[in-house]
Amino acid sequence: MELNQELIERITRLVIEKINLQNEQSEAHGTPFTGKTSYAGYPVAKKGTNPKEVVVGVGPAFQREIKKTINGLSLDDVLKNITAGIEEEGMIPRVVKILKTSDVCFMALEAAKISGSGIGIGIQSKGTTVIHQKDLYPLSNLELFSQAPLMTLKTYRAIGKNAAKYVKGEKVSPIEGVNDPMVRANYQVKAALMHIKETELVDVSIPMIEWRSENEISFR
Amino acid sequence: MKRSKRMEVLDGRPVNKDGFINEWPEMGFVAMKSPYDPKPSIKVVDGVIVELDGKKRDDFDFIDQFIADYAIRIDRSLDSMALSSLDIARKIVDINVSRKEILKIVSGITPAKMVEVINYLNVVEMMMGMQKMRARKTPANQAHITNLKDDPVQIAADAAEGALRGFREEETTVGIARYAPFNAIALLIGSQAGRRGVLTQCAVEEATELELGIRGFTTYAETMSVYGTEKVFVDGDDTPYSKAFLNSAYASRGLKTRFTSGSGSEVLMGNAEKKSMLYLETRCLYVTKGAGSQGIQNGSVSCIGVTASVPAGIKEVIGENLVAALLGLECASSNDQSFTNSDMRRTARTMLQFMPGTDFIFSGYAGEPNYDNLFAGSNFDAEDFDDYNVLQRDMQVDGGLKPVKEEDVIRVRSLAGKAVQAVFKYLGLTEITDEQVEAVTYAHGSKETLSRDVVADLMAVEDMMKRGITGVDIVKALAETGFEELAESILNMLKQRVVGDYMQTSAILDENFKVNSGVNNPNDYMGPGTGYRVDGERWEEIKRIPHIIDPNNF
Repeated sequence: MELNQELIERITRLVIEKINLQNEQSEAHGTPFTGKTSYAGYPVAKKGTNPKEVVVGVGPAFQREIKKTINGLSLDDVLKNITAGIEEEGMIPRVVKILKTSDVCFMALEAAKISGSGIGIGIQSKGTTVIHQKDLYPLSNLELFSQAPLMTLKTYRAIGKNAAKYVKGEKVSPIEGVNDPMVRANYQVKAALMHIKETELVDVSIPMIEWRSENEISFR
Repeated sequence: MKRSKRMEVLDGRPVNKDGFINEWPEMGFVAMKSPYDPKPSIKVVDGVIVELDGKKRDDFDFIDQFIADYAIRIDRSLDSMALSSLDIARKIVDINVSRKEILKIVSGITPAKMVEVINYLNVVEMMMGMQKMRARKTPANQAHITNLKDDPVQIAADAAEGALRGFREEETTVGIARYAPFNAIALLIGSQAGRRGVLTQCAVEEATELELGIRGFTTYAETMSVYGTEKVFVDGDDTPYSKAFLNSAYASRGLKTRFTSGSGSEVLMGNAEKKSMLYLETRCLYVTKGAGSQGIQNGSVSCIGVTASVPAGIKEVIGENLVAALLGLECASSNDQSFTNSDMRRTARTMLQFMPGTDFIFSGYAGEPNYDNLFAGSNFDAEDFDDYNVLQRDMQVDGGLKPVKEEDVIRVRSLAGKAVQAVFKYLGLTEITDEQVEAVTYAHGSKETLSRDVVADLMAVEDMMKRGITGVDIVKALAETGFEELAESILNMLKQRVVGDYMQTSAILDENFKVNSGVNNPNDYMGPGTGYRVDGERWEEIKRIPHIIDPNNF
């Protein structure tokens, strides 16, 4: 809980800083807020051709403005486990950062659409995750993990494995659901704050970029 | 600081685990009124609204335009807007002013004016307003019927028990999206095994949900979400026009539908445009009305954690329910999502709809233990049934449920399980064993049921959909496997779509499949001695709780 408190405070501070910045800017220049990270110049994500590929689409704030999920898992570890899960099944992970949307279903669908196999995973920075397939309706999915506070690194690894199994055309047993009726009471405000942050960073002018941890490291 | 023992005790209370946040209008964290909310105004030129709530037509976003073109009675707007918001608020509470008269006035006011009106009311006045403005004279209740395993047998059994307990609508959803058709079928069969005439729906992705409806696997739909800002609509790949189109798709097949909205969603999705939750929700309700929907599920719904986190959040929830009723919409008034660790707080929240009565007090009450509730937990669940029945008895309030006998519960659960088993076998779907039916019959939740072969189930679902199985096939399967009465009931449910009467505002069906709606049983409350009263056989039913002291035993 302490960790979450810390997280919420940090996000709140970040959001407030941005708002102050925005106010300053609009006072000074009369222009809307433009203080967000620019990914101009980053390699634009292309459609893959490798049929073994699973594309993981991460949210706009992923590993940058937000470094931990809503229940404190490090996003580095989350990504490591998902990609390891994919590799364990003999498939090839590719990570992209989705900038055009912060909606997890659309993120996952975008990832699926540029995936050589047609299977993609979308992860919001707060941890909500979807496994998607390119020809499904946006708000449908292969598997949805809507309760981010209940996620563990083990679940993320299993998600990677299952996504890879869908590529292989295996009969996949969906990961067993977990449910905590108190999640909303305990986490929804934090979820809102994290999502507000992520949504602020949406940039429709650069829909998707290739995302490697080196990119991230060089900016730390 | 040396800590006070009392403060330590208080800090440890469940309510202090809840999320609270100060008002922050810039990010939409404000319930009733934001300094950025517009002021009411309207200007009509040649029968077209050219200014709405301070905005010129050229500056309208698509929500403004939709509302201006379809949701406001221009012929009444001049008179209605001339009344002060305080006057309208007082008329809502005044027992001498009829529901009909209020509906007429309100049909000509703008969203910003509506927000002003609601802001004049305190919670008790809002409840008085709801008591008068609810569309159907008799209140009712809706259940959620889900489980963690997406087990169709358990869905059928819980649906049967829920129907027996009095729910007139039952809603399921899925853990795994591809299970939807099984869940829908199980709910359809199970509900009729408990009590005839229960309407059922399966809340899933919109295109899938529509297909389930068209096939006759469901008898109504509810999950047509609308939002209060253009950005959130666009993010969902939608517009008010596409929702109106979807609504007519259902109507063309004779299916009852209602929209879904609720405060807090725009905040949660990061695009509240600095407006109050009440104002954004009011826009949703105008869109709903403009799209021609007979009703709405609202009251913050799945975003209640956000609305409840700000001051006057719970007041705002009954406020937005009341706006729905004021617009003449059927209101399924939420109470369907857990939002607090405090039993006291969750009960208090529900009293605001329970006491005045709404068309559906819950949209849905968890008909299973909350750990099985796939809507991430409802505000009340199966473990609260007796508490709820006692609340009805304590206050002589009709909350839509009734006490039941254990033998009846077991009987209908067993019947539902066996019927689903027979239908699955007849249609060549996955096997349901006698042991599964037995386990489910006596189970409280999925912790006590057997596991199913998920992979085989999902393959069977796909195959069934490819074969073009419809509701009529289910009727046939039941009729030919010895479940004639159930077959008859489901056929009757399918017939509703041809008759179409249950598409009228706030319709439910009685046990003889007769419509009870806001049209043939309109709310006529005008103070003491009028409107719906709990008496006669219904009151006797509510009184019959178990665990009554028998004086003869002393």
